Amino acid sequence: MAMLRYLLKRLGVGLFTIWFIATATFTVMHLVPGNPLANERGTNATIRANLERQYGLDKPVFEQYLIYMSNMLHGDFGIAFSEENRSVNDIIREHFPVSATLGVLSLCFATVGGVLWGALAALYRNRLPDALIMFLVILGISVPSFVFAAFSQLFILKLNQWSGRSILPVAGWEGVSSMLMPALVLGLSTMAYMTRLMRSSMLDVANTDYLRTARAKGLSPTRIFFRHQLRNAILPVITVLGPAIAIITTGGFVVESVFAIPGLGRYFVQAVAQLDYTVIMGTTVFFGAFLVLMVIAVDILYGFIDPRIRLGAV
Amino acid sequence: MSLVPSELSSKLSIAVSAADFAPAPHQAQRERIVRPSLSYWQDVWQRLCKNRRALSSLYIVIALLVFTLVGPWLWTQAPALQDLDAISQGPSWSSSSALVVEDPGTWPGVQGALRPREEADGQTLGATASLAVAGLPSTQYVRLYWEAVNGAQHYLIYRNDHAPESNQDLGLPLGATLTPDTLSFEDRLQLRPQTYWYSVIASDGFEEAALSTTAAITLQRAITASQARERGLDDTLGAAVALPAHPFGTDYLGRDLLARVMEGARVSLFIGIVAPLLFVSLGIIYGGIAGYFGGNLDILMMRVVDFVIALPFLLFMILFRIGFGIGPGESGIIPMLLALVLLSWPDTARLIRGQILQIRGEAYVQAARVLGAHPLYLIFRHLVPNTLGPILVTLTFAIPMAIFTEAFLSFIGMGVSPPTSSWGSLSNEGIRTMLSSPHELLFPAFFISLTVLAFNLLGDGLRDALDSRLRSRE
Amino acid sequence: MNSTQYVLEVDNLAVEFDTYGGVVQAVRDVSFKLRKGKTLAIVGESGCGKSVTVQSLMGLIPMPPGRITRGSARLGGDELLHIAPAALNAIRGKRIGMIFQDPMSALNPTMSIGAQIAETLVVHRGMTASAARTEVLELLHLTQIPEPEQRLNQYPFECSGGMLQRAMIAMSIACKPEVLIADEPTTALDVTIQAQILLLLKQLQQSHGLSIILITHDLGVVAHMAHDVAVMYAGQVVESAPVDDLFYRPAHPYTLGLRAALPGNDPQKQRLQIIPGSPPDLFAPPPACAFADRCPHTMRLCRSAAPATYTRPPPPASQASTNSAHEARCWLHHPQAPSSPVRSSAAT
Repeated sequence: MAMLRYLLKRLGVGLFTIWFIATATFTVMHLVPGNPLANERGTNATIRANLERQYGLDKPVFEQYLIYMSNMLHGDFGIAFSEENRSVNDIIREHFPVSATLGVLSLCFATVGGVLWGALAALYRNRLPDALIMFLVILGISVPSFVFAAFSQLFILKLNQWSGRSILPVAGWEGVSSMLMPALVLGLSTMAYMTRLMRSSMLDVANTDYLRTARAKGLSPTRIFFRHQLRNAILPVITVLGPAIAIITTGGFVVESVFAIPGLGRYFVQAVAQLDYTVIMGTTVFFGAFLVLMVIAVDILYGFIDPRIRLGAV
Repeated sequence: MSLVPSELSSKLSIAVSAADFAPAPHQAQRERIVRPSLSYWQDVWQRLCKNRRALSSLYIVIALLVFTLVGPWLWTQAPALQDLDAISQGPSWSSSSALVVEDPGTWPGVQGALRPREEADGQTLGATASLAVAGLPSTQYVRLYWEAVNGAQHYLIYRNDHAPESNQDLGLPLGATLTPDTLSFEDRLQLRPQTYWYSVIASDGFEEAALSTTAAITLQRAITASQARERGLDDTLGAAVALPAHPFGTDYLGRDLLARVMEGARVSLFIGIVAPLLFVSLGIIYGGIAGYFGGNLDILMMRVVDFVIALPFLLFMILFRIGFGIGPGESGIIPMLLALVLLSWPDTARLIRGQILQIRGEAYVQAARVLGAHPLYLIFRHLVPNTLGPILVTLTFAIPMAIFTEAFLSFIGMGVSPPTSSWGSLSNEGIRTMLSSPHELLFPAFFISLTVLAFNLLGDGLRDALDSRLRSRE
Repeated sequence: MNSTQYVLEVDNLAVEFDTYGGVVQAVRDVSFKLRKGKTLAIVGESGCGKSVTVQSLMGLIPMPPGRITRGSARLGGDELLHIAPAALNAIRGKRIGMIFQDPMSALNPTMSIGAQIAETLVVHRGMTASAARTEVLELLHLTQIPEPEQRLNQYPFECSGGMLQRAMIAMSIACKPEVLIADEPTTALDVTIQAQILLLLKQLQQSHGLSIILITHDLGVVAHMAHDVAVMYAGQVVESAPVDDLFYRPAHPYTLGLRAALPGNDPQKQRLQIIPGSPPDLFAPPPACAFADRCPHTMRLCRSAAPATYTRPPPPASQASTNSAHEARCWLHHPQAPSSPVRSSAAT
C-alpha cells in the first residue's frame, strides 16, 4: 500500500517535471525574436505566409504555446519542417527503437562490466589487477567518447584489413555484429564510473560489521563474497542507473553519428543542423520524458531489491 | 600475607636491590603533543602533497596553463595561416627548407601538331616516345610534357606512388588533355616531397592505348614567390628558404596544429574554468540562501532545483545555442558559457544547501547562537570555512565536466563556430581525416584527455585530503 | 588442577598492526584460560586490546595490516592460530560462536533474520532449508524473542536493537558451540534491555553448558556475569582472578583504580575518582610497567624492568580446588616491595 502511494506520488511529480521540460523547451526555442522560418532560404513571402499558417506561427506566442501543449497532451509532436508530410511521431517511431536497442545493449555492457571489474579490483585491492583496472577506469573517464568511437573504427578497419575479411562492420546498423562495437564504445565511460563505484562500494561493505559476522559464522569466502558482499555492494550501482541512462542516451548522439547508425540521436543532430524546429522540440521533450520515466523506473527497481525501501523504512 | 612468584616470572629472575623499591620520583605527565599542531588547510595541503597522483596532476594543470598562456609567445606561428602545400603533414620536429619557385599558372604549356593516325599502325595507338618535366618538379607543381602519339585525340595522365605494374595500376587519374594538340599537363594536386610515377596514355576518344609511358619523378619542396612574399621570406626565384617545423603536424588546410591546439586551449580552458567558477558561485549563493533561511522558501527553491536538474543536459545545451542564435562572425563562446551556467548550477546549490543545513544543526553552531553570536559571525566563522572544502572539490570536478561538455558540443558542431577553434572542434575536423592522418584527431583528443584526467585526479586527491581530515577529527 | 577443565587456553598471544604511523602493538603477551561452563570476563578501557584479542582468536582481524606475531590458542586441544582457512571455518560458527557490540550493524541489512540464522545451520550442519527453518524458529523461541514466527521473515531494520541481539545470540548458539564470545554485547543497548540480554546469556549458559568469554568495560556487568576476570591494560593482562577475589582483594593498582572509579552508593562521595593520565602510546609501549606513569605507588624498579607475574594464594575460606589462580603483573608483590593496598588482604 505504501508502495502504491509512493509510486503514484513519483508519477505525479514526474508528470509535472515533463510539463516543465516541455515548457522550457518551448520557451528556449522562442527566445529569438522572429520565427523559425525567417532564415529559410529560397522562400518568397507567400510561401512563407502559407507555411507560417500551417505551423501556426502567425498566432501570438501564448496561443502557440497552448496549441503546442494540447497537441502534446494528445501525443502529437507536429509535422517536421525539413521533410514534408512526415510527422515527428513517425520519425521517433522509426528511429527511437534503434537508439533504444543501442542504449540497452550498452547499458548492459556498462553494468555487467562495471560490476565485474569493480568486484575484481576490490578483490585484488592494491595489487596488480586492481592497479590495471583502475588505470583503465581513469582512461575511460578521461577520454571523450568520440575519440574511442573514432579509434575503434580505425581498429575495426585494420582488423578487417589484416584478416582479409569483414570481421566487424565499420559502420551502419545491420545485425548484431554491427551493434557490438558502438554499444561498447557508448557504454565505456559509464562502465568506468560504475567500476569505480563498485570497487569503493565493495571495500565499504568489506569493512562492515555484518561481513565480520559472516566471517565469524564460518562461511566460506565464496559464500561470503556472493551472498553478503556482492549483493550489498551492488545497491549503490543500481542507484546510479538513472543518471547512467541519461549519459548513455545523450552520448548516443556522437556514437550514432560516428558509426552512421540511424538512431534518434543522429537524427536530432541533423535536425539541429537544419534548424528543424518541430523535430528538435519533439525529440527534446520525448527524450526528457523518457529520462524522467526511466529514473522513476530505476527507483522502483531499487525498491524491489533493497528491502529497506520496499518495506517503506526510508 | 606472603606472595610467591609464578613459574613464569621465576624464570626471568632479576637481580634487585632495596633501592629499586624506593618510591620513584614523580615524573611529569607523559601526555604531551608529539606532532606540531597544524591548521586545517596546512593539514589538507600536506595530505595533498603526500598523494603522488594528485601532486603530479597539479603539475600537469600548471603546465597546461603555461602552455596555453605563455605558449603563443614562444611558438609564434599564426594558427590561421594556411599552407595548402603542407596539408595533413605528420608531426615532425625538423624544419624543412623549400625552394622559391615562380607562381603557378605562368606556364603556357606545350603545343604540338596534330598527327593523323597512320594506316600502317593498324588499330592500336602507340605509347608516347618520351615523358619529361619542364623546369624543376616541386611540391608546387609538376610540369609534364610529352611527344605526340599518332592518332591520339587526347591524353590521360595518371600518378602513382609506386612503379605501376600494368595499365590497371597507374594510380590516381589526374585528368585528361582536352585537345589533341595539347602535349603537356601541370599537376598541382596535393603534392608531397617524394617520388611519383607519372604515366601518360593516349586515347583516340573511344578507348585508351594499350601502352603507356611512365616516368619516375622526385619532387622538391617548394613555395611560390608570392607565398614567400606573404610570409616575409626571400622571394628571389631559386632561393632556398627555411619553412617552420610542425611538431604536431598540420591540419587539412595546412595550418600548424601546435599553434591551433594552443589557440584551442584558450577557448577550451576559458570555458572549462570560467563556466564552473560562475555556476559554482551561483550555486553557492542560491543554495546558501535556501539553506540559511530554510522553511517554505527553501522548499520552493529546491523544487526549482529539482526541475532544472530534470532537464536533459546536453539537449538543452544545444537548444540554448539555437535559442541564443549565433550570428555570422560570432564565436559562440559566450552563449555556451551562459548555457552551461544556466544548466549546471543546481548540483552545487543542492550540495551547499545540504552542507549548510548540516552545519547549522551542529552543536558548536547552536552553542555559538545561544551565546548570542551575530549571524554574520556565524556565516564567516562557521559556515564559510566548513563549506570551503566541498566547494573546492565541486569546483575541481566541475572543470573536467565543462571541458567535456564543450568538446562534446563542438565535436557535433554545436559548440564554438569556425574560425574559432577549440579542442572539440579540432577533434571534429580531425576525425574527417582520421584514416589518412590520425594525428589531427590524436593531438586535440590527447589534450582533452590529459586535462580532464589531471583535474579528475586532482579532485580525487583533494577530496581524499579533506575527507581523511574529517575522519581523523571524529 | 585437571587440564581438561579448560575449553580454551590462550598462551602468550601477541598481535601487531601496521599503520601509517608505524607498528601498533595492540596485544602484547596475553594468556588466559576459559573454564568449562563458566564465564571469563575480559575488562579494560577502550583501546586496551581486549577486542583484538578475541578477534584474533576467531581469525577476524584483517590480515594485511594485522599480524599474529606470537602465541597459541587451543580449543579443547585444537590449535586455532595459524591454521588453514578451511579448518578455521569449520571451527568458527560451529565450535565458537560470537556476538558483537552493535546488533544493528552486525546483521546483513538485505537478508531476512531467519535466512541469516539458517545460513549457519545449512553450512555447518548440512541442513535443508526447510529443516533449518524449523530449527531457527526453535532457536528464536529459546532466545525469548517476541513473536518469533514473525521475526523469521523480517529484515534487521524492522526490529529493535534488543530483538536483533537476541537474533544474534540465536545465530551464535545455533550449532551448540563449546565457546561463546560476546564482544561488549550490551554496550549499544538500552539499560533495561542490557539486563534482559545478560539474563538470557546466563540462562543459556546454564541450559546449554556454554563457556562464555565476555568482553566489557563495565565492572557492574562483570560482577553479575563473570566467574573469572582478566583485566587488560595496554595490550597486557595485568590481573586475572576469580571474580570475588578481584573485587574483594584487587592485586593490581590499575584494578584498584578501576574499582575506585565506580560510582558507588555513598552519598558523601561527591566526586567520582579518576585514574589520572591516559594509557600509553602503543606505537612505542613503555619498556617496563605500562601503568607506571599513572600508578600512585610507582617504584624505581617499575620504570626499569617489566614486572613479573605473581600468583596470590587463595584466601583460606574459599573452595581453592575449583577456583582459578589469582595472578597480578606488578612489582608491588615482590617480597622486598613496601606494603601497599594491593598486598593487604582486605583492601579498603
